[in-house]
Amino acid sequence: MCSSGMADEALFEFLHMEIVSHVYKEQQSGKGEMDNKDRAVCVSVLEGMGFRVGQGLIERLTRDSPSFKDELDIMKFICKDFWTKVFRRQIDNLRTNHQGTYVLQDNKFALLTQLSSGKQYLEQAPKYLAFSCGMVRGALSNIGLDSVVTAEVSVMPSCKFQVVVQKL
Amino acid sequence: MTVHNLYIFDRNGNCLYYNEWNRKKQAGISKEEEYKLMYGMLFSIRSFVSKMSPLDMKDGFLSFQTSKYRLHYYETPTGLKFVMNTDLSVSNARETLQHIYSNLYVEYIVKNPVCVLGNTLDSELFSSRLDAFIRALPYYSPRAA
Repeated sequence: MCSSGMADEALFEFLHMEIVSHVYKEQQSGKGEMDNKDRAVCVSVLEGMGFRVGQGLIERLTRDSPSFKDELDIMKFICKDFWTKVFRRQIDNLRTNHQGTYVLQDNKFALLTQLSSGKQYLEQAPKYLAFSCGMVRGALSNIGLDSVVTAEVSVMPSCKFQVVVQKL
Repeated sequence: MTVHNLYIFDRNGNCLYYNEWNRKKQAGISKEEEYKLMYGMLFSIRSFVSKMSPLDMKDGFLSFQTSKYRLHYYETPTGLKFVMNTDLSVSNARETLQHIYSNLYVEYIVKNPVCVLGNTLDSELFSSRLDAFIRALPYYSPRAA
């Protein structure tokens, strides 16, 4: 049972903000300037956290669903049911090359809407996408799909997640 | 009918935000001095009002008026102070200021991971939404009274 009152959303948003801030502060402590290697570590830590969360979330969400027909079916589930439960809206646009690469476009990504509605703070956006990329990767991993998930933003709050399914 | 300007102070007296929509006359001092003057005055008047009140106080200082304008004041439980100057046709702007606090400040500043509490409000999203909100107020008109 999921009650979506204002308090629930704010709790996760504030917690996520603090997690990101904490990870970056920890990495920076005593060093002064952060280099690209430090930034990569932070993104990786956040992505790893998201991965575990995504794995758990998908167990809960697919509890009552029938099993999936194929890969596209799984991606559609992510775009509709998963995205709605986690980000309170559906993916606006799903594209695929039918060879394992999918691009999920969310025009009002929930974790970016309070940042800006254009280019301001664009360079900071990736920090706030890492956890979500991990969540998607974790969710897919528990359904049986190994993937690499990245995100890109050019105009906030619109955002594109790219999922590349790894063939064994 | 019009809104002249708006100040937002934090609990330490720092002016986090200022904007004007219809100000015909400047104070003749630098902006820093103006903010200090405004904050100092508010501090004194709140203390005066509560001390001299003949009854138990509820909300404390709310507004003052001159023959030309009215200054409205709203303080949040967290110590944020919203000050808005309007013309005399606006008798009560408390709801407006409360809306600015909960729907604009909380949404676009508090929930903005990049905005550090205590810094000036640099978010363009916040200023554009605030500007749109002020201009959409029923008592706002671009031609000053």
